[in-house]
Amino acid sequence: MADKDKLAKYRTEIQQMMFVSGETGEPAADTTTLIESIVQDQVQHMLRECTTLATRRGSRSISTDDLFMLIRHDRAKISRLRHFLQWKDVRRSVKDSDDKGGDAGADVAGGDPDIAAGVVGSGSGPGPEAGKKAKRAKVDLVWEVHSFFNEFPPTMDDVEDEEEEEMNFATLQRLKNADERTKNMTREEYVHWSDCRQASFTYRKGKRFKEWAGFGLITDSKPSDDIIDILGFLTFEIVQTLTEEALKVKAAEDLYKKSTGGEPQNRLKRKRERGLFDPPEEAREPVQTAHVQEAYRRLQRGNNKSRAMLNFTRNVHLSALKLVSPLIPQCSQHAMPNNLNRSSHLAYTGLGSGV
Amino acid sequence: MSLAPSLHRPSSKERQHYARLSAQPPNTIRLRTPNAALSDEAMSNGSLNHTLADGADTMAEEDPRAALFRERYLRTEARLDALLGGRDKLHIDDAPDHGMEPSSEVAPMAHDARPAVTPKKAARTIVEDDYGDDDDADEEDDAHASPLLSKSAPHGIAAAALDTPSLRITSLSSKLGVGRTSTPSTEHPKSSDDVRKKLQQDKKAAEEAAKRSFDTLFYTLESDRDAMLEQQKLDELDRQVETEMSGAPANAPVAGGPVAPQQGTLSTTNLGASSLTLKHLIARIDAQRDKVHASDAQLRNLISEVRKNRSKWASEDRVGQEELYESMEKVLMELKACEHANPFLQRVNKREAPDYTIIIKHPMDIGTMMKKLKQLAYKSKKEFVDDLMLIWSNCLKYNADPLHPLRKKALVMKKETEKLVPLIPEITVRDRAEVEAEERRMRNGDADADGAEDSEDEEPIMASRGRKAPSKGGKGTSNARKALPAGLEGTPGPESKLGMPSLNNAVFNLKSEFLRADSEMEGSINGFSTPPPGTLTPLGPNGIMRTHGSQADLSEADGTGASVSGFTLEGEDADLDDLEYKTWKQVTKKDRAIIAAERNRLFRDDQLQVDEPAILRSRAGMRRWLRHRKEASAEDSAKNSTTAPDGKDGVQATAGVTLAEGMEGEEERQIPDYYDPVCAIPDLDERLAWLEDAEGHVIQQTEAYMRVVPKGQFTAPQSALTKKMEGNMKQMQETRKICAKIGIVKQMQLQSQMYQNQFQKYDPQPFIEADIEPIVVSEEGPVMAPYVCRAAMQRSVAKIFYHAGFEEFQPSALDAITDVAGEFFEKLVASFGVYRETPKVKTDTPLAVQDGAMTNWVPRFSQEESLLHALNVNGVDLETLETYVTEDVDRLGSKLSGMHDRMRSYYAELLRPALDNNAGADGVGAFNDGSEQFVGGDFAEDIGEDFFGFKELGLDREFGLTFSVPLHLLQNRMHSAYARENTNIVATTGVLMEEPTKFEPVTVQNYSGQIALVHDWFLSKLQENNNDTLVEDEDLPPKQRFPKPRLPPTGKITSPRKRPLREQQQMARKKRKLDEDKDDHAGHDHGSGTNGGLAKGLGKPVGKLKLEMPQKENQSVPEPEKDDGSAVGMISPESIPAA
Repeated sequence: MADKDKLAKYRTEIQQMMFVSGETGEPAADTTTLIESIVQDQVQHMLRECTTLATRRGSRSISTDDLFMLIRHDRAKISRLRHFLQWKDVRRSVKDSDDKGGDAGADVAGGDPDIAAGVVGSGSGPGPEAGKKAKRAKVDLVWEVHSFFNEFPPTMDDVEDEEEEEMNFATLQRLKNADERTKNMTREEYVHWSDCRQASFTYRKGKRFKEWAGFGLITDSKPSDDIIDILGFLTFEIVQTLTEEALKVKAAEDLYKKSTGGEPQNRLKRKRERGLFDPPEEAREPVQTAHVQEAYRRLQRGNNKSRAMLNFTRNVHLSALKLVSPLIPQCSQHAMPNNLNRSSHLAYTGLGSGV
Repeated sequence: MSLAPSLHRPSSKERQHYARLSAQPPNTIRLRTPNAALSDEAMSNGSLNHTLADGADTMAEEDPRAALFRERYLRTEARLDALLGGRDKLHIDDAPDHGMEPSSEVAPMAHDARPAVTPKKAARTIVEDDYGDDDDADEEDDAHASPLLSKSAPHGIAAAALDTPSLRITSLSSKLGVGRTSTPSTEHPKSSDDVRKKLQQDKKAAEEAAKRSFDTLFYTLESDRDAMLEQQKLDELDRQVETEMSGAPANAPVAGGPVAPQQGTLSTTNLGASSLTLKHLIARIDAQRDKVHASDAQLRNLISEVRKNRSKWASEDRVGQEELYESMEKVLMELKACEHANPFLQRVNKREAPDYTIIIKHPMDIGTMMKKLKQLAYKSKKEFVDDLMLIWSNCLKYNADPLHPLRKKALVMKKETEKLVPLIPEITVRDRAEVEAEERRMRNGDADADGAEDSEDEEPIMASRGRKAPSKGGKGTSNARKALPAGLEGTPGPESKLGMPSLNNAVFNLKSEFLRADSEMEGSINGFSTPPPGTLTPLGPNGIMRTHGSQADLSEADGTGASVSGFTLEGEDADLDDLEYKTWKQVTKKDRAIIAAERNRLFRDDQLQVDEPAILRSRAGMRRWLRHRKEASAEDSAKNSTTAPDGKDGVQATAGVTLAEGMEGEEERQIPDYYDPVCAIPDLDERLAWLEDAEGHVIQQTEAYMRVVPKGQFTAPQSALTKKMEGNMKQMQETRKICAKIGIVKQMQLQSQMYQNQFQKYDPQPFIEADIEPIVVSEEGPVMAPYVCRAAMQRSVAKIFYHAGFEEFQPSALDAITDVAGEFFEKLVASFGVYRETPKVKTDTPLAVQDGAMTNWVPRFSQEESLLHALNVNGVDLETLETYVTEDVDRLGSKLSGMHDRMRSYYAELLRPALDNNAGADGVGAFNDGSEQFVGGDFAEDIGEDFFGFKELGLDREFGLTFSVPLHLLQNRMHSAYARENTNIVATTGVLMEEPTKFEPVTVQNYSGQIALVHDWFLSKLQENNNDTLVEDEDLPPKQRFPKPRLPPTGKITSPRKRPLREQQQMARKKRKLDEDKDDHAGHDHGSGTNGGLAKGLGKPVGKLKLEMPQKENQSVPEPEKDDGSAVGMISPESIPAA
C-alpha cells in the first residue's frame, strides 16, 4: 500500500490536468498512476540527460540551458519557456524594486508586460533597469545570433522579440483547444476548469516534487527555481500531450467499434453529435490505461531521421527514451520500408501503392 | 559493390535468354532427365549410407526405386515418341528441388532466385541439337535397358546387398556383362556413379554460369586478395603435408603384402588399370604365353612400366585403392578449396583453444586427413567419410553456441561434404591375395554362366587382374582416370594439372572419365562383335567419341547445374553475397588467386620488384581472348538465332582452326578478360586513326578530342538559397568588423598607452569559392576526383558552419562532419537509386517511349515520387527543408541585420565620449573643447601616409571625419573619458591637494630669470631647440617621457639619473629613427605638452620634492605602473641631453 501511495502522489493534479486537456470523465486511479509513472520517468530521464550535458560542460549542477537543450527542437515550447522566464524575471525585479520602495509593483501585477517594463524603467531608476535588461538578455539561447559575436550590445528597446511569432501558432492552437473545451461549459464548470488550470506538479510543492523527481539521486544539486518551474511547465505539457493523444486513440477506437458494431449502448451514445442542450457528459467513459499506453507508444515511435544513417546497414536502431512532445504530422501515412537493406529490397514492390 | 549483381538481375540480356530458351527442341530435356532422377535417389542413398542409418535404408530404398522404374518407363515411352518425330515434350517433375524441369514452358517465368543460371542452359542446349541426337539416343537406350533388365531379375535382397563393397558396377558393366547383371545391385552403383557425374556436371554448370556472367557483370577485384591469401594457405597446407609425409616411410607398397605366386595366363595376372590400353597386347601375349619366356611377375612389371601416367595411388597389391583414393583425394581437394574450409584446414591450436582436447576426444582436420590419405590409412569409404564428418561434428560440438560463426561454416561444409560423398565409390581396399582367392572361387562357380564372355577372356582378365573383382564398370572409370593423360596426349603438361586440384581440373577429370566410359563402352561393344582395328588405339575413334561424350556431358550439366548450384548456395545464409556473386567467387577463386599472386609478387612492398618475372602476354591468353571476341561477335550477330556458342562450345567451333587449339584445354582460366589485360588488344580509338591530309601529312586528331573541364563543377551553383546564405555570411563579417572595433575601443579605455601594432586589423576576406584550375582532358564524362570532391564538400560544410555562427572551427570537426554528410548523401542517393530502379509495373494505357514504340511498362515511381520516398526514408521531409530555409536562413538574415544595427549604435555610443557629446555629426564639435590637438597635431594625412595606422583599423570612417585622427589622441581621450566615468569615486583622491602652479616655460626671453648657474645650460638648450620654448619633461608626450625616478630601498640617491639598461640599448635605434622625423616630433611634443598643461587632469603634487629630477605629471591615471610603462616608451631628443 505504501508503495502505491508513493506512486500516486499527484493523483489530483493529474486528474485536473487531464480535465484541462479535454478529458471530461473521471479517470481511473490506475490511469493516473500510469500517467504519473510515465511523467516521472520522463522527468528523471530529463534530469539524467541534463546532468550529462552539465558534466560535459564541466559543471556539476544543471542549468536551464541544459533543459533548453533537451527540448531545442520544439520551437514553440522553447519560445513559450523563454517568454515565461523573461517575465518571471521581470516580475522578480519588480518585486525587488517594490521592496526598495518602488511604486511600480502594482502596475506590473496587472500583467501587461509592455506597460510593466515601461513603468519599471521609468520608475526605479537606471540601476534596476540595467539589471533587468541584463536578466532578460540572459534568457537568450546559446545558439541564437547574439552568440555569434564576441561583443554583447545592450538590447535596444525597439528590437522586439521576434520569437513571439514563433509561439503564436502554437499558442493560438492551445487557446483554440481550450476554447473548444470550454465552449459548452456552464459558469460553475468554467470556474472549476480554470481552477484546474492552476494544477501543477511543482507550484508550492517544491519539496515533494524534488523528492518525486529524484533530485539528490540523479543530480545532486539543489535545483534553481527556474529549473523547477521549467520542469513544472514541461510536466504539464507531458500530461497534456499524453491525454490528448490518448483521447485520439480512444476516439479512433470508438469509431472502429461503431463501424464494426460494438456494444449497442456505446453505439447509441456516439451516434449523436453533442449539441447545445445536451446534458454535461458525465456519462462519458474516461480514457483507459490501454489508451494511454497506446498514446505513449505513438509518442515514442522513432522517426526516420534518427535512423537515416543506418540505412543500408544491418545495424538495429536502438532508440533512447524520447521526450514526449506533440507529434508533428509527417508524411508518414503510407507504409515505409523498415530498412533499406539490400536483402529486403524486394519488399519495395509492395510499398507506396497509394502514391 | 555487392549491390551490383542483384540490381543487374533483370537485364535485358537474360530476358533474351529466356526467350531463346523457349525455342529449344524437346529432346534436350529428355537428355537431362535420367540423371536427375537417379541422383535424387542416390543422394539419399549416399547420405544414408554414410550416416550409418542402415536400418532405414531399405525403406528409403523401396519407394524411390518404384518411382524410378515408373519414371523410366514413362521416359522411355516419351523418348520413343520423340524419336518417332513427336514434338511434345516430356515434363518430368520428379525432382522439384533440382529445377531441371525448366522445360520451355516453365522457363520464361523463371526462377527469380537464380535467373543467372538458367540462361546458359539455353545456349547449351543449342549445341545438343547439332551433336547429341544419334549417339546419345543410343547410349540412352542402353543405359535404360539395363535397369529394366535388372528389374526383371528376381532379387528381393537387392536392398540388403547394396552395401556390400564389391558391388561396384556401373551402367557400363551392366551393359558389358549382361550375364553378370544378375548380381543383384546394378541399381545403386549405377546411381552413385551418376550422382558423381551429375555433381561434376553441376560444378561445370556453375562454372558456366560464372563464365556467362562475365559478359553481363563487371566484377571488381576486391575479393582477390582474400582469394590469394586463402590459396596461399592451401598451398602452405599442401606443402606441410608433403614434408611430413616425406619424413614418414613410404609404406604404401609394404602394406600390400606378398604377391600370390599364381601361375596362369597373363590375363589373370594383376595388371591393374592397364587393362584397356593394353587389352589387346595382353590378349596377344596370353594367346602365345608359352612363347614368352618370362614369369608372371616379370611380365607384370614390364607391363606396369609400359603403362604411363599411372595414378600415384595405384598399387599392385591393394585392390581398389587407386580408385578409392583418387576420389577421396578429389573430395578432399574440393572441400579444401571451399570458401569456408579455412578454419578446418589445420589442427586446432592448443593455444587458441586450451580446452579443446578436453571436449574433443578425437580431433580431426583436413590436413590430417590429407596425411592419412598419403599414408594410405583409409581402408574404405566409410572410414574416410567418418573422418570427414568427425571434423564437422567436432566443430559443432565444441562451438555449442548456436550463433557461433564457425558453426555456420561447419554446417555449410557438412552440406558440401554430403554432396560430394556420393562421388566416392563404395570400395573397400583389400589385399590382392584375398581378392584373387575370392575371384578363383567365383570363377569356378560362374564358369558356365559366363561362358560367352569367357570366350573373349574379357571378364576373367578384369577379375584376375584383381583391380576390382566383379565390377568392370569401376575398372572402366579407373581406367579412364588413369587414361586421362594418355587420352589427351595432345595436351601437354597433364602433371601440372594434377598438381592443381582446382574445380576446373576436377571437373575436367570427371568429365573425361565419363567420356572415357563412353568410349570404352563403345570399344567393348565393338569388341563383342568384331573388333575393328581402330579400337586398338584408344585415341582413334574414341577421340572422336569424346566430342560427343563431352557434349552429352555438358548438356546434362546444363540441365541440372542451375538448380544444384542454386541449391547448394542457397542454404548458406551465412554469407550475404548473392548467388551469382558467390558462384563467381567460387569458380574463379583459384585463377584469381593465381593472378593476384602474380601481381602481388611483382608489386610487393608497393614497388616494382625488378627481379620478379614480368607478366607477359601468353599465347594461350591471346587465343582465349580471340575466342571470346569471336563468341561475342557471334552472339551479337545472331541475336535470335540459335547459334550462339559459349564456353567450350566456342572451343569446339574453332577446334579445327589451329592445331594448337588443344592447348586451350589446359590453359583455360575461368576469368573474364579484364583479369588478364596483357593478353588483349585494346580497341583502337578512332581518334588515333592514321589519317593523312592532301599533302600526305598526318593529321593530329588528338587535339580535336581535348576539352577543358567546364567551370563550376566543383563550386556551389548559384541559387537563391546560396545567395541568401552568402548574404548572411557577409553580414556576419561586417558585424564582426564592428565587434573588433568595439573590442579595440574597449581596450583603449582600459589601457593608458597603446602601441603601434597592438591591434591587429580585423579584416575578413570575402568568401569566394575557388574553382579548379583549368584542366584539359581527353575523355568524356565527369572528372572523377574524389579528393577534389571531398574538398569541395568540405568547403560547403565549412560555409554552413560559418553560417551557423562559428567563426572558426577545428579541422577535425570539419572532417568529421564532412564524413557524416558524405555518408548521408551516399545513403540518400542509394535509396533514391533503389526507388528509381524498382521494377516497372504494367499499366493499361500504353505509353510511348522515346523511339516511338509503345510500352505498357511504366516505372513504378515517377522521378518526383522516388525523390520524395528517398528523402522520407532518410528522415528528411519538405517541411523540414522549408523550415530550415525560412527559419535558419531568412529569419537569420533579418536577425543578423538587427544585430548589426545594434552593434553599430553600441559602437557609436562607445566612441561618443571621445568625440565629445557636443560633437556634431561630422565631428566638428570635437574642436570646441581643447581642440589644440587638432590644430597643432600632425595628422597623418598631412604628411601623406597612414602613419599611425588608423586607416588600417578602419576607424577613420567610423569617426565621421574625412581625415585620420592620431590614434593615441583618440586613445587618450577615450581613456580619460572612460577613467573619468568609471573611476570618479576612487579618483577623487587625486584632488586632495591643490594643483601647484605650472612652471613658466623657459624661453629665450625669460631664461635669465632663472638661477644664473643654469643660464648657460638653458641657453644651450634653447639654441638646440631653435630658440623655441623648452618643454618640461612631464609635459612631454607619454612616449617621450623619462621613466619616473624611484628612490631605491636604500634611500640613497646614487646618481642623478638612472637609466634602465634596455633604454640604453634602445637609444641607438631610437635615435636613428628620431633623427628622421625630428621636426614632426618637436611640433608634436609641443602640442601635447600644452594639451597636458591645459588638461583638466588630476595632477599629483610630487614634482617639487625632487628638484633635480625631471618631474612628471600624470594627468589622469593614478596607477603608477602605467606611468612607468608609458615612460619607457620613447625618449625625446630634448630629454636626452637633459639627463
